[in-house]
Amino acid sequence: MSDRLAGMAILAVSLVYLWAAGGYEAGFGDPLGPAAFPRIIGIPAAVISILLIIWPGRDPQWAGGRRLIRQIAALATLIGYALLLEPLGFVPSTFLAVGGLALLMGARLVPALLTAATIAPALYILFDRVMGLPLPLLGPLIT
Amino acid sequence: METLSFLANGFTVAAQPINLALILVGCFVGTLIGSLPGLGPVNGVAILIPLTFAFGFDATSSMILLSAVYYGCMYGGRISSIMLNIPGDEPAIMTTLDGYPMAKSGRAADALAISGVASFIGATLATIGLTLFAPLLAKAAIYFGPADYFALYVMAFATIGGIAGIDPRKTLLAAFVGLMIGTVGLDPATGVARYTFGSFNLYDGFDTIVALVGLFAVSEILMFMELKIKTAAIIPLGRTLPRLSTIKEGLGASFRGSGIGFIAGILPGAGASLGAVMAYTFEKQLNDKDGTFGNGDPRGVAAPEAGNNAASGGALIPMLTLGVPGSGTTAVMLAMLISLNVQPGPLLFEKQPELVWGLVASLYLANIALLILNIPLIGIFTRLLRLPSWALMPFVVAISYLGVYAISHSPFDLMVMVGFGVLGFVFRKLDISLVPVVLGLLLGMDMENNLRRALSISGGDPSILIESPISIGLYIVTGAFLVFSIYLSTRSHKRRDV
Repeated sequence: MSDRLAGMAILAVSLVYLWAAGGYEAGFGDPLGPAAFPRIIGIPAAVISILLIIWPGRDPQWAGGRRLIRQIAALATLIGYALLLEPLGFVPSTFLAVGGLALLMGARLVPALLTAATIAPALYILFDRVMGLPLPLLGPLIT
Repeated sequence: METLSFLANGFTVAAQPINLALILVGCFVGTLIGSLPGLGPVNGVAILIPLTFAFGFDATSSMILLSAVYYGCMYGGRISSIMLNIPGDEPAIMTTLDGYPMAKSGRAADALAISGVASFIGATLATIGLTLFAPLLAKAAIYFGPADYFALYVMAFATIGGIAGIDPRKTLLAAFVGLMIGTVGLDPATGVARYTFGSFNLYDGFDTIVALVGLFAVSEILMFMELKIKTAAIIPLGRTLPRLSTIKEGLGASFRGSGIGFIAGILPGAGASLGAVMAYTFEKQLNDKDGTFGNGDPRGVAAPEAGNNAASGGALIPMLTLGVPGSGTTAVMLAMLISLNVQPGPLLFEKQPELVWGLVASLYLANIALLILNIPLIGIFTRLLRLPSWALMPFVVAISYLGVYAISHSPFDLMVMVGFGVLGFVFRKLDISLVPVVLGLLLGMDMENNLRRALSISGGDPSILIESPISIGLYIVTGAFLVFSIYLSTRSHKRRDV
C-alpha cells in the first residue's frame, strides 16, 4: 500500500511537471528548448510510478503509537527551530531545539537541560566568537 | 615518472600548514563520526560541507578536509562494530561478524589493531591505485564529446543502484525525481524560470548542499525516533599496542581484501559496502576450513576492513576523472566541488593539478595520521562511544542548522532542508535509495546542457547521440546492466514467494 501511495504521489507530481513544461518556449539556435528535457525525464517518471502502483513491493514497517508521536513531535521541533532561529536568536532557539530533541530521545529532564544549556552557548562561542561565522546571539523577539 | 613529479608537487600543497591542520582535524572527526552508530560517511560529510563553505576554504582545502573525514569514517566504522556489535556505519556491518566474537573472547584490542592495520593497508593500496590509474582514465576521458557525456550520465543513473539494488524501478524513479528537482530554477540556456511557482527564492533552484544536509542528516533524526532506546555495554579494552605476531594474523587477508575492495570501489554503484561484503565472502570461501569464520577469526576482521577502505579510495577515481560518483559519499563530495565551481572530470587534471595532486598526497598523509589515531590512541574513541545518542543527535541537528544558516542566512533554506529531510525519511522507509536523487540533483543540469549542446551541433538531429563508438559502448553496457539487474530482482522475488 505504501508503494502505491508513493507511486500515486510521484505520478501526480510528474503529470503536473509535464503539464507545466508545455508552457516553456524554445529560443533561437537551441533546437531542444527548455521544455524537451523535462519531457524526457517526466514521461518515464510517470510510467515507472504507474508500474509501481500496479505491482507494489512489500510494505515497510511504519512507526505506530508512541514512536509515531515522537516522530511527529521531532518534526515539529525541527520546523519550529527553522522558523524561530532568527526571531529568537541562535542561542535560545538552539537551547530549545537541543533540549526538546534530547527529551524526545529519552533523556531525563535535568541532563537534557544541562546538555542544551552547554551546547547552545558553546556552539555560539566556538563558531561566532572564535571562528568568525556571524550568528545572531539573541533575536528581535527577546531584545 | 610524470606522475611522480606531479605527486611531489602535491605533497608541497598538502604540506601547507592549513592543509596539514585540516588533515589532522578531518582524520579525528572522521574516525569519531565513523565510530558513532547512526552517523556514517555520507551524513558526516554532508553535515560538514556547509561549514567548509561558511569558513570560505578554497576547493583544495575543502576537498582535503572532506576526504580525510571520508577516510577517517571508514577506519572508525569498525570500532563500534567490534566493541558493541553495532556497525558504526553501513560498510562496517561485515566487521561485526568476526570482530564482536573476538572482542567477547577477550581480544578486543587485538581485533581493533588487526582491523586498524587492515584499514591502513586497504586505504594505502587504494591511494596508490588512485595515483596510478586516475591520470590514465583522465587521459582517455579527454576524447569524450557532449553526446558521450550524455551517454555516460545515462549509464551513471542506470547503474548507481548497484547490482545488489533492491528494486530497479525504485532506483530509476529516485533518479528521475532527483532530475526533476534539479530542473527547478532559471534555465541556464534561455533564462526561462522553470517550476519556480513565482517564488524568487527558487530562481537559483534548490541549493544542492541544503538538500543534501536535509536528505542525509535530518532524515537520520526522524529514522532515529523509531528505534528502541537502548544503551549497550562496552567491553573493556586491554593493552592497545599489539604484538607483531597479532598483526601478522590478518596480513594476508588484508592484501586480498584490498584488491577486491579496490575493484568494487571503481565500479559504478558499488562502493564501500559491497567492497566489504565481497572481501569477506572471498576470504571465507578461501580459508574457512575449520568453521572459525563468524566465531572470531582475525582474517574475518581484516578482510572486510581492508575491503571497505580500499573501495572508498577506488570510488574517488570515477568521481575525479569522469565527474561521475560511484557511491553516496563521493556523490556528496562531488556536490561540494560543483558548488565551489570546480567541475570534476578529465580537464580537472589539466586545469587544476594542484587540487588533484594535493588531494592525493593528503590521502597518503591522512592514512599515516589515521594509523596513529586508530591504534595507539584508540582509547579516546572507545571512551567516546559511551556518549549517549540523546546528546549526540541533537548536537548534529544544531551543527546542521548552524552550517546551513551560516551559508545563506536564510530561514527559507532551513525550511527547504527540513522538507528534504522528510522526503529522505519517506524514501528510506520505502527502500528508495537516496543516492540517485542526489545524483539527479547534481548532474541534471550538466546532463541537459550536454544533450542540448550535442543537438545544436547536429542541428537537432538526434542520431548524433549514438554516432560515436564511445557512446554506443556506454549504451550497450547500460542496457546489459539493466537487463541483468532486472533479471536478478525477478529471480529474488520468485525465491521469496516460495
